[in-house]
Parts: sequence; structure tokens; C-alpha cells
Amino acid sequence: MQGFPGGAPDPQQLQATMLAIEQACSLIQVHMNPSEAEKVISSLHSSLMPYQACRFILETSHVPNARFQAAGAIGDAAVREWGILSDDNKRSLIAYCLNYVMEHASSPEGYVQAKVSAVAARLLKRGWVDFPDQEKSAIFFEVEHSIRGIHGPNRQFAAINFVEALVSEFSPATASAMGLPKEFHEQCEWTLEVKFMKDFYCWAQAAVFNAADSILSGNASIDEEKACSAAFRLMFQILSWSFKYNVEHANSETKIDSGLRSDAINLKKFERSLVKPGSMWSDILISSGHTTWVLNFYTTARQKYSYDPLWFDSPIAASCRQLIVQLCSLAGSVFPNDSGDAHINHLMHILSAVVLWIEPPDVIASSIRNGASESEFLDGCHALLSIASFTTSLLFDNLLKSIRHYGTINLLSALTSEAVKSFVDNQNEEETWGSDALDISLEIWNVILGDFDADKSPMSVDGAIAASNLFKIIVESHLKAAADSAFEDTDDAEYFHVSVSKRDEQLALYAQIARSAADTTIPFLAQLFSERFARLSQTNGENDPTQTLEELYWLLLITSHVLTDSGEGETLLIPEALQAGFPNVVEVAQHPVVTLSWSIINFSRQCLDPGIRARYFSPRLMEAVIWFLARWVATYLVPLDVSRGQVSRAEIDNVDKHGFQHSRKVLNSFAWENNQGELVLDFVVLISMVALTTYQGENELQTLICQKLLATVVRRKHTCTFIVQLDSWRDLTRAFASGRSLFSLSGRLQRSLAETLACAASCIKDPEASVQYLKDLMGPVAGCLVENASRSDLKSVAQKADVVFMVCCLLERLRGAARATQPRTQKVLFEMGHTVMNSLLTLLEVYKNQSAVIYMILKFVVDFVDGQAVFLDSNETSVLVNFCLRLLQIYSSHNIGKVMLSLSSSLRNELQAEKYKDLRALLRLLTNICSKDLVGFLSDSSIEGSQDIAEVIYVGLDIVTPLISLDLLKYPKLSRDYFALVSHLLEVYPEKVANLNNDAFARIIGSLEFGLCNQDSDVVERCLTAVNALASYHFKERLGGRGGLSSQLMESEGSNGTLQESISSHFLRLMLQLLLFEDFRMELAGSAADALLPLLLCEHGLYQGLVQELLEKQQNPTVKSRLAMAFHNLTNSNNLSSLLDRPNRQRFRKNLRAFLGDISGFMQIK
Amino acid sequence: MSDSEEHHFESKADAGASKTYPQQAGTIRKNGYIVIKNRPCKVVEVSTSKTGKHGHAKCHFVGIDIFNGKKLEDIVPSSHNCDVPHVDRTDYQLIDISEDGFVSLLTESGNTKDDLKLPADETLNAQIKNGFGEEGKDMILTVMSAMGEEQICAVKEIGGK
Repeated sequence: MQGFPGGAPDPQQLQATMLAIEQACSLIQVHMNPSEAEKVISSLHSSLMPYQACRFILETSHVPNARFQAAGAIGDAAVREWGILSDDNKRSLIAYCLNYVMEHASSPEGYVQAKVSAVAARLLKRGWVDFPDQEKSAIFFEVEHSIRGIHGPNRQFAAINFVEALVSEFSPATASAMGLPKEFHEQCEWTLEVKFMKDFYCWAQAAVFNAADSILSGNASIDEEKACSAAFRLMFQILSWSFKYNVEHANSETKIDSGLRSDAINLKKFERSLVKPGSMWSDILISSGHTTWVLNFYTTARQKYSYDPLWFDSPIAASCRQLIVQLCSLAGSVFPNDSGDAHINHLMHILSAVVLWIEPPDVIASSIRNGASESEFLDGCHALLSIASFTTSLLFDNLLKSIRHYGTINLLSALTSEAVKSFVDNQNEEETWGSDALDISLEIWNVILGDFDADKSPMSVDGAIAASNLFKIIVESHLKAAADSAFEDTDDAEYFHVSVSKRDEQLALYAQIARSAADTTIPFLAQLFSERFARLSQTNGENDPTQTLEELYWLLLITSHVLTDSGEGETLLIPEALQAGFPNVVEVAQHPVVTLSWSIINFSRQCLDPGIRARYFSPRLMEAVIWFLARWVATYLVPLDVSRGQVSRAEIDNVDKHGFQHSRKVLNSFAWENNQGELVLDFVVLISMVALTTYQGENELQTLICQKLLATVVRRKHTCTFIVQLDSWRDLTRAFASGRSLFSLSGRLQRSLAETLACAASCIKDPEASVQYLKDLMGPVAGCLVENASRSDLKSVAQKADVVFMVCCLLERLRGAARATQPRTQKVLFEMGHTVMNSLLTLLEVYKNQSAVIYMILKFVVDFVDGQAVFLDSNETSVLVNFCLRLLQIYSSHNIGKVMLSLSSSLRNELQAEKYKDLRALLRLLTNICSKDLVGFLSDSSIEGSQDIAEVIYVGLDIVTPLISLDLLKYPKLSRDYFALVSHLLEVYPEKVANLNNDAFARIIGSLEFGLCNQDSDVVERCLTAVNALASYHFKERLGGRGGLSSQLMESEGSNGTLQESISSHFLRLMLQLLLFEDFRMELAGSAADALLPLLLCEHGLYQGLVQELLEKQQNPTVKSRLAMAFHNLTNSNNLSSLLDRPNRQRFRKNLRAFLGDISGFMQIK
Repeated sequence: MSDSEEHHFESKADAGASKTYPQQAGTIRKNGYIVIKNRPCKVVEVSTSKTGKHGHAKCHFVGIDIFNGKKLEDIVPSSHNCDVPHVDRTDYQLIDISEDGFVSLLTESGNTKDDLKLPADETLNAQIKNGFGEEGKDMILTVMSAMGEEQICAVKEIGGK
């Protein structure tokens, strides 16, 4: 071939290379000495001008893997050597690859062909800007002919494959690296999209069109079908392109009135996004009837092949359906700018074809159960989901009404019922079509009900009935499943919590359906409950109640979801659908939500009776009861003033809607009427006490009590103020403070219980009472620790397991209380901490070999300092700081330089894990201490106090830095903690750093460098802050005529080998490197500017030199001048001065943002 | 305040006779100790399950024998008690290493303790021997004991000469 690069080949050498590569490939396949084999192969990739050898392999080798590698090597080498290849060379390489795929189109090793296609596409892109247009046209002329089928189906397939490769090479997400600036890639993307994409689509269309007749008549060869399905795939791929260069219509009012959503929802959950190719595509996609043609093709084909169950999974059927689903997502200006008619028509057309795939759902579902393929059914659900995302629920419902006597929601309801049944039947198997179909159909409900806005588009009567029927089927199927599975063992393995959150998500979606027809579904739930309560009371110990219990368990879960939102961390409101759902109910006693709530709560109350509790209230049922109570209390015990205020305002606004507002008022106030609210809160405390003391060892249940129920009532002020006045609450706190019963809880739970109980103190109105409450609560705990730590026989008993356990319990409790520190309770808690300080030091000494206790002590101190630091005055600070200093000294004397010996590697790993946890705790402690000084600037902290802090920090650093290696910093949690500390430290005590010894200093700087290149943007930000602090300090010192950091030198790679330079120049180099050549994240630009400015000011001379050096390196004159301009603007625009004040920093931030925007196009390389 | 008991450590100073202590299974955590099949173990994994959905919780423990590193497992109802071993670690100064690998340790009361062998692991063994013998460093050995067994579990150098 003319112009093929590389000299005249030496046949023997070619043969030898081929043999070597073939051997390496077969070695890799049997996995023998893979690293050696990889070396051989990569030497081919990186060798100079390997083209003749590769060509020889491609043409003669019988080992497909070797051909594959040879193709890859051509691509890599050509992209690398692009500069030294002549134009002829480049052209001939591309032509060679294309010819190769065409000539070997019938080869059975598809992956080799695909690789050669991809290489051709890659090289074509590499030369895209240089090649004149007629050359590209010549290539595409050939390709088009092949795609249109002129050279037979094999070549047709190969050509389509090549275009596929080309599209994916030009799409930014899948492009391969070429070492060229971003602008190049963008330009390629643009020209392909604007000039070629539509043509490609048309070619594929033509290919399908030509093959259609023979396929529909059943005469098509296998090759023809293959080409046809490839063409469908290409069309799908083109429609998945993210179109950027199109113009959108402005949203018109008429369009919104038509029932199309103005804000089509992006369905991220199913990785679907809108397809907006723009008005240019209108002719081929919309006005030409293309969609209709595709739909007809599929409909005819499925009829023709309906005898063959395998056809539905054939490539051609699957790729055609995929295209249809993608066509559903068309949006934007591809449709004419009318009132939305064209779009609605389009959706209706698709729906009328797709409805055959999913209707009637029960018949299709049963045939799938008998072994038919489910893929068409699932694709139908996907199409329905896309349609729903464009339409209001009303329009969605109406779409089907033109061809059926019922609406789309009816169909959806039937479809969801089938999915639920199938899901419930096969719950224990992984991935079944039922669960997939259920996921999709619930998402459709979510989309149409999420749009449900009482005023704009009320759910139709039909729709509500459909939803209500569906909910009944859901509940019945799940109740049946619950009863059937009641005797299975539960295993909460690792994925237990995952499966719980997945279940909750599903229940929340069910609940949404229930709420859309609340007037029927809530009474239905109430009826189910009362049936089961009656059944329980009739059993009288004769029948096993387990099945009923499991049914109740499930009912409690779904009812919680229907009545309340989950709203983690938010203030919960009574769901709007329930507030608006009962306009005709005016009597409290008749409100279905009210009766349902009281019937459940009254039932739960029975657990206080020991006999009934033993009979019915299994741990699992209790879990559901507690969970229900927590959510109910948080939602329905509305703050009194809020509920009153809301209602009175609403009454003034809407006098005519009186009945409607009245039912809202009922719902907002019923819980507090007749002292019910107080009774419920009392019950909450009683049931907690019962569950904590009589359900021994039931950790799940007790966790719910401590972390969910009690935490919920205490966190809300209006419930907390009531609860602290209750006798039952006093009993609970007394049991905690001085009884033994609660020591049977696990340590973690004792901690959260202590936290919750201590938190409640801030809701006691009288300050003295609040102090007394805390003293009563925590005094005995602290006292016990002190008393025991000062025992004379401590040493001999300390290591006993029971003593260790007790100490751990006490420490956990102290830690819980420390976490509850609030402004009102801070003083008392500081006193508590103060009394145990000496004991803690004693224990630290005694338990030096019990890592669990040590860790617990460290964690207590961490939380204690964290809670207290901001409040302390100078005396208290020095007490705390001295304590921390002693703590660190004792810790280090026992732990540094110790080598643990262990026979078993797993035990050794455990030990390392413990050390790692200690280290993190220490880092946190130091950071927390440091934060005291940060706020200390504002207060009147005395100088001696802050001296002390600095000392602690440096003792701490001395312990910590030698233990931190760059390997350890790869653990994200540790590295975050560490860099948080370092940035704090440098901000607060830069002068201390200047005096560090060389080793310690180098360690810190080394870790900063490591951190700047980290993936985690939090870490990078922290490091930038640290560099800023260092450089600013240095700059200010020098301004004041002092040395600053000049004494600290750094070894750095300069242009002529290593050289010693100052810290500021070191970081200046690093920052420029980072900003210019790495993929710098724009969100960090602000902190980068803050770090760069002081460096520039310190090292102005070096900066100029570096800029000059950079400019000289640039070969390309345009790039050079653009870069020079950008650098000029960076330092000269916006009146930048040479100060480090705030306005100047702001200006520099602006400049740097502009600079980064300017250069990212041509400096960043991919 | 008759209803308020003070929390005293239960152990008497002379309770050395008991080598274990009963503790509720539900409160034993990962990294704690437990006796499985009469061996003292460190807990490396705890999981819970229920006997039938409405039954009581059970804990499933995986422990590693702290002396020989063997893996042991046990299932206990979580409200029942498990035995937890008293695991003690004592520091001694190393005063001699004999030819046959026995070490001589100095106790707090000034006596010597001569019944322990160096650890089996070659490198650690060498580390102690070299540190002590050739570099002449002062070394503290930590000895772990539980349920009547003893083993050297850590070394620490305290300055050299």
C-alpha cells in the first residue's frame, strides 16, 4: 500500500516479532507469567514505527488475540508518532484499517474487527482538524455506500460498526486519550454533531429500510439481520448523544395548558435523560413519520414471529425496542413550536404500539411465569415511564382513552398489581423480572403522583379508584407473604441495613399511592388492624399467634409510611395529601386518621401488661411499635402554638372553604386534645423503660428506643418540655443514674441513652432545676469512676473482665453526656469532666495494655473538648490543656516504639486497626484543642493559656506525625482528619512551624504536597488553606523585616537537577504545575487564589522567571500569545495591589477564575 | 436512698480463683474477649439473628484464640450470659535469654520469672535477641495471661547503651 509508514520490512524479523507476540498472548490467556508477557506486548505498543510488524501480524497471524494487540499497537504508536508521520502515512494508516475491516468483515472474531474499527476512528479523530474536507468526504463516501448495503451485508455491518466506534470516540465521555488540549476535543465534538450526525442517522435509517422487507417476509439471511440490528443500535447510540449545539424554543404558555410538563423530570434512577437534538432533526425524526415507521416495523415483526418465543430476545428485537424507548425521550425544539400537539401525538403513537407489549398485564405476567421472555414487558414499562415524565397525570391518563375505554392510570394500576404479586412470590430470589417491573412501575407512580398538586390537576375519580384498588392488592399480597414467611429465621447479615432501606423506599412509594386515595385506603387499613387485634385477643394462648404478629408487623410499617413522612433531620409535617384528603370530615371522632392512630396506640399500650406482653409482644413486633410511635409523635404532636396559628390564619384567608379548613384543623390539633398528648408521652417513656429492661439482649429494639424514639421526643422542644415533668421520666433517669438494671445495655446504647437524658436538661425551664437534674443524672456516674479509680487495690482487680466492662460502661456514659453539651448545660458538664480528669489519667496508666479502654478514654476526651472548647475561660482552658498534655504524655510513653507480637496475622491486623483508630482519635483531639484558639482570637484568652495550647499541640504532633505515613494518608477518613489538623495548625500557629526541626517540618510539608494532589477536594482545600497560611505568614514576616520561613529550605526538582530553595518558591512551582497542567477543579479556584497570591507576592522574581520559561516552551505562536495574555491579565487586571488585605484577595480570586477559564481550553490535555 | 445502689466493682481482691466472668451476650462487642470452647478468644465478628421472625435474638460470634490464633465460632441467645476471660498483661524487664530460648524476667517484687520461652516467630525472636544481646538495649516485655496460660505479646525498647 502506498504511503504505509515504516521502512522495507525484513521478513525474518517480522516473523520473529509475530511469534513473540503470539506466544505472549497465549501465555496471558492461560495466565502463566502474565507480567512477562505483558512486557512483551507493551514493547510492541511502545516501539518505534511498529506499523509493518503490526500489519504483518494482522494479515498473517492465526491467533486472534495477537491481531487484537497489533491493532491496538498501531493506534497507540500512531497517536504518539503523529508528529513525525507524513500526511501520506496518516492517510494510508486510516485507509488500511478501514480496508482491513471491510475485507475481513465476515471474520468470526468480532472483537478484533471492532478493535481495528476503533483504531481507524481514533486516528481519523486525531487528524480531524488537519485533514481537508474532501479527504474526509472521500472516506465517508465509501462508508455511506457500504452502510446503504451496496457491498453486501457483511461490509454493511463493518461500516456501521466503524461509525459506532467513531461516535463513541467523539463523545467526550468515551473518547480515548490523545495528549491534546480540551479545545481540540470540543471542536471535533462540535463538527461531528453539526455536520455529520444527522447523515449517519439517515444512513442507518436507509440500512434498516432496505432490510425491512426481507426481514418481514422471513427471507433475510443471518448477516442481513445482524447488519439491521447494528443499524438500530447505531440509531440508538446517536440518539443517546448529548446534543449541545441546538437552539431551544422558549417555553410557551399554551404548551403548559396542553398537559405537557414544563419541567420534564430527569429520570436519574434509571439512567435516562432527555434527548434534545434540536430543530435540525425535526424533518427526519418527526415530520417524515420515522417514529411511526419504526413502530410499525416492530409491530409487524412481532406479529410475524409471535410463534417464536426466542425472537423477543433476539438482537434485532431488543435493539429496535431500545430505539423505541429512546424515541420516547425526545424533547425540545425537535418538535415544532406549536401548543405541544406534535409532541402529544408522538407520545400517543408510541403508546398505542407499546400498549401491545404490556396489555393485558395479567395474561402477559402469567405467560412470563410460564417461561416467556420478560424483556418486552420491561421495555414497555420503561417506555411508559418516559411518557409519564413528560405529562401531567391528567394527560397521562387521557393518552390511552383515545384507543381504549379506560385511562392509562387504570392500565398502570393493573400492571403494578401484577408486578407486586410476582415480586412478593419471589421475594427470596435475587433479581427477578417482578422486582424490576415493580421498581419501574412504582417510579411511574412516583412521577405522576409527585406532580399531583391538589389545585392544578386533581387525580381523576377513575384514577383514585385505580390507586385505591391497587393499594388493596398491594396490602393483601404483602400480608399473605408476611403470614407465609412468619416462621422463617431472620438473618441480619451485612446487607441487613441495605435491605431495610430498600424496603423503606418501596414502602414509601406504596404509601404515596395510598395517600392519593386516602379516603378509602385509611379506613381500609383501620379495618385490617381491628381484624387482627380481635384475632389476637381470641387466641387466648391456644393458637400460635406468630402469623398474625407478622401481619401486624407489616401493617405497622406500611401505616407509619402512609401517616408520616420519613424526613430525616427535617421538621416533620402532617402529609399534605392527608390534610387535604378529607374535606367532608368535621368531627374529630370520625376522622379516619384519628381513629386509626388511636386504635394503634391503644393496642400498643397493652404491652405494659406483663402477661399480654409475654404472649404477643415479640421483640420484632415491639420494634415496629416503637418505630411507629417515634414517627407518629414527631408528626402529630404538632407544637401547639404552631398548629393554632396556622389554622387561625387559614380561617381568615378562606372563609368559604370552611369545611375544608376545618378538617385540616382537626388533624393538626387532635393529638393534644383531652390531655391525650401528655398521655402518649408518658406512654413513650413507660414503653421505653419496659423495652430497655425486659427485652434483654435485643439490640435492634433497644437501639430504636435510644436512638430513635427517645431521641425524637427530646430533640423537639415542645415534647421535651412536657416529658421532663413526667414522673415516669424521673424514674427513668433515676434508674439510669443509680440503678443497675440499665448496665445490661450494650456500651454504645448506654452512650446514646446518656446523651439523650442529658440533652433533656436544656428543656427544664428553671436554670437551677436544670443544673440539679444533670447533677443527679451524671454525678453518681462520675463519682463511681473516681471512687473506683482511687481504690487501693485497683492494680490487682483492674484487669478482671467485669471491672473492665464496668469501666467501659462508665466511660461510655460520660462520653454520651459530653456529647450533649449545650450552652445551658456546659458548666455542669465541665465540672463533671473536671472531677474525673485525674481518675482518667490513673486509668490510662492502669489500662495501658487494654486498648479498648484506652480508646474509650481518648474518645471521651475528644468529645469533651469538642463540646467545651468554645465556652471556656482562661482558667478552665488551662485546666483542660494541662490535662490533655498529661494525657498525651502518658499515651506516648506507653505506645511509642512498642512492637506487638502475635502469632496470628488476623490478630495482628486487629491490633493495627486499633492503633489506626487511636491515631484518628488523637488527630481529632488535637484539632478540637486547636479550634479553641481559633475562636480564642475573639475572646480575652490570656497569653499563657494559648501558650499552653501550642505546647499540647506540639507534643501531640510529635506523637502523631511519625506514625503517619503517606500510605496511611490513603485512608480517606484519616487523611481528612489529618489535613484538618494541619490546616488549623498552620493558620493558628505559623510561627511555631517556623521553629520546628527539619525532620518534623519536612514531614508536614511532604504531607501537604501529597494532599494537594489528592482526589478528595475537601483535602485539597484544606491543604490550600494551609499553604495560604504558611505563605501569608512568611510574607508578613518579611514585610516586617524578619526572616519568616527563610531558614527552612526544601529540596526540589528544578530545571537543572535538585536545588535547595525556600518553601515559598517550592510551593509556587507546585501551584503553577497544578493550575496549568492538572485537571484543576473550578470549585477550588477560590482557595487556590488565596494560596497563590501570597506566594506570588513573596517570590515575584521567581514567578516572572517561571512564566517566561513556560512561554518559551510553547511552540505554537497562538497558544503562546494567548498564554502570555492570560498571565498578564492574572496579575495586572482589576487593579491588583501587593497587599494581602481582603479586597485585594477578592480581586485576585476573580482574576484567577478568569485565568483558569481562559487557559483550560488549550492547556489541559487529554 | 435505699433503691440506689452504688456501682462498685464486683471483684474482690482475692477473686483470682475465677478465671472468667459472666457477661450478657448482647453486650459483647467486636474487639472484646470471649471464651469459646474453653479457649480465650478475641471477638473479630458479631452478627445477630432471630429464631423465627418473632423469636429472640441470637448472637453469632467469631473469635480468634489469643494464644494460638485459631478461629472459633459460637452461637448464644443474646440475653444469655457468656464467659468472658480475664485477660491480663504485665510488663517485665528482660534480664537474660538462655541458650534454650527461655527468658529470665524481673518482676515488680524483685524476683525473677523464668518459665517463659521466646515467641516462635523467627523475625521477632531475632529482634529481641539482637536488641538485647548485641545492641545491649534495655527491653520491656509484655506478657499476656488468661485462663492459666501465658505468652509474650509485646516488646518495647527503653533506650540503648
